[in-house]
Amino acid sequence: MITPRTAPAFLLAVVAVVQIVLAGTADLTPWKGGGFGMFATLDHNAYRRLDVVMEGTERSEALEIPPSLETAAARAAAFPAGWMLRSLAEGVVQRERRYQRSVSRVTITVWRTDFDRTTLRASERPLRVFTYMAPPEPTLVR
Amino acid sequence: MRTVWFRDSHSLRWPGSPRNSGQPAGHTISVEPGPLDLRPTDTAHFDTALRLTAIALLLRPMGPWFVSPVILAAGVLVLLFPRALRDRAVWSALALLVAIRIANDWPLADNHIYLLCYWVLAVALALRTPDPRSCLAGSSRLLIGLAFAFAVLWKVALSPDFIDGRFFRVTLLTDPRFGAATQLVGGLSKAELDANREAVVPLPHGAELTDPPEVREPPRLRAFATFSTWGIVALEALVAAMMLAPPGRTGPWRHIVLLAFCGITYAFAPVAGFGWLLVVMGLAQVEDRQVWISRLYVVTFLVVLFYDQLPWTELALDFFRGG
Repeated sequence: MITPRTAPAFLLAVVAVVQIVLAGTADLTPWKGGGFGMFATLDHNAYRRLDVVMEGTERSEALEIPPSLETAAARAAAFPAGWMLRSLAEGVVQRERRYQRSVSRVTITVWRTDFDRTTLRASERPLRVFTYMAPPEPTLVR
Repeated sequence: MRTVWFRDSHSLRWPGSPRNSGQPAGHTISVEPGPLDLRPTDTAHFDTALRLTAIALLLRPMGPWFVSPVILAAGVLVLLFPRALRDRAVWSALALLVAIRIANDWPLADNHIYLLCYWVLAVALALRTPDPRSCLAGSSRLLIGLAFAFAVLWKVALSPDFIDGRFFRVTLLTDPRFGAATQLVGGLSKAELDANREAVVPLPHGAELTDPPEVREPPRLRAFATFSTWGIVALEALVAAMMLAPPGRTGPWRHIVLLAFCGITYAFAPVAGFGWLLVVMGLAQVEDRQVWISRLYVVTFLVVLFYDQLPWTELALDFFRGG
């Protein structure tokens, strides 16, 4: 029964169950999202990273995440859902176009590090690969 | 205006409670209804828990520019004005602000920010009830019990790399916040620690070294990792069990276990905000007669503060290894 005494605990349980479901089905890092999985696994942002590759007219290059996109990148690494990756890709396109650089496609790869059970040797595997086709640049009419 | 009946000069009769016919008639006075009426003996631990919550909010400013200053201002008001301390509107606003802070960059907020949100919500809801102290104590037990139960669930059942020891074996080597403890307790030199850190750096996908470096784990370091793995699970499971059990059956033990958890864990875990929150929530469960336990909670709040501000593992490492 939900009373003033139990309501906060009920909310905690609901959020934690949703977090467990998202971690199991959509690669949300167990450390985040209110499920109390911190200090329980090596699957957190220190062992996740993003590759962002931009392609445009006569260019294809990897992007080093700039400070203005750090939060969006951290969110996408922690929860690499389509809408989160799309948001990061849109930020990348906007930034490139602000600097008058051509970009028509952004590919984001989210990597996770695994450690061998015996030797602790580290290896990376891709969690998600997301491709974003940028809308055509608006033509400047003078 | 309402009437409060004084049975003697030291105790208040709760409005609406039955009057003892054997008692001589007492004095009556009229008082303005406040935001909260509490028996005088009940207010001390309750108020201290709320004040320490405000101090914890001030010690760790949080959130974007449109949230952070308002949370800080509310914390100051709660500390300065008794009316604000027990004003449910202030605590409701704080719960909303912390929720906005969580939503603003979801899912990046740490778990203790969620717990803080539930806690200030619990305070706001308790202040709407006729017996806020008892309501908040019950909420606190449930919140700590469930948070620890989920933490144990993650460690024992949902994370394959915790129970087999990998989590602490890797974290003790790679997390710079544990570096001094790893050297001090694990018996590694600085050069060995650096070499181990190099050895666990991942190669690009598909790449392989012909002669890969090996991680060197002395028996003391393996024992430290194993002890940390099982010790933390045992302690968290004990806290969860104590908090979710009927309070009459656990007595002071649930406080002792929670205090032990805070005193041990936050010596190493760099999450003072979580430690302060647990201390505050434990303090809200203290009964009137448990004066020493309430003092222990305040001392533990300060101990966690010192853990946070003093690089004690580095100082101990310098001391034992001669600088």
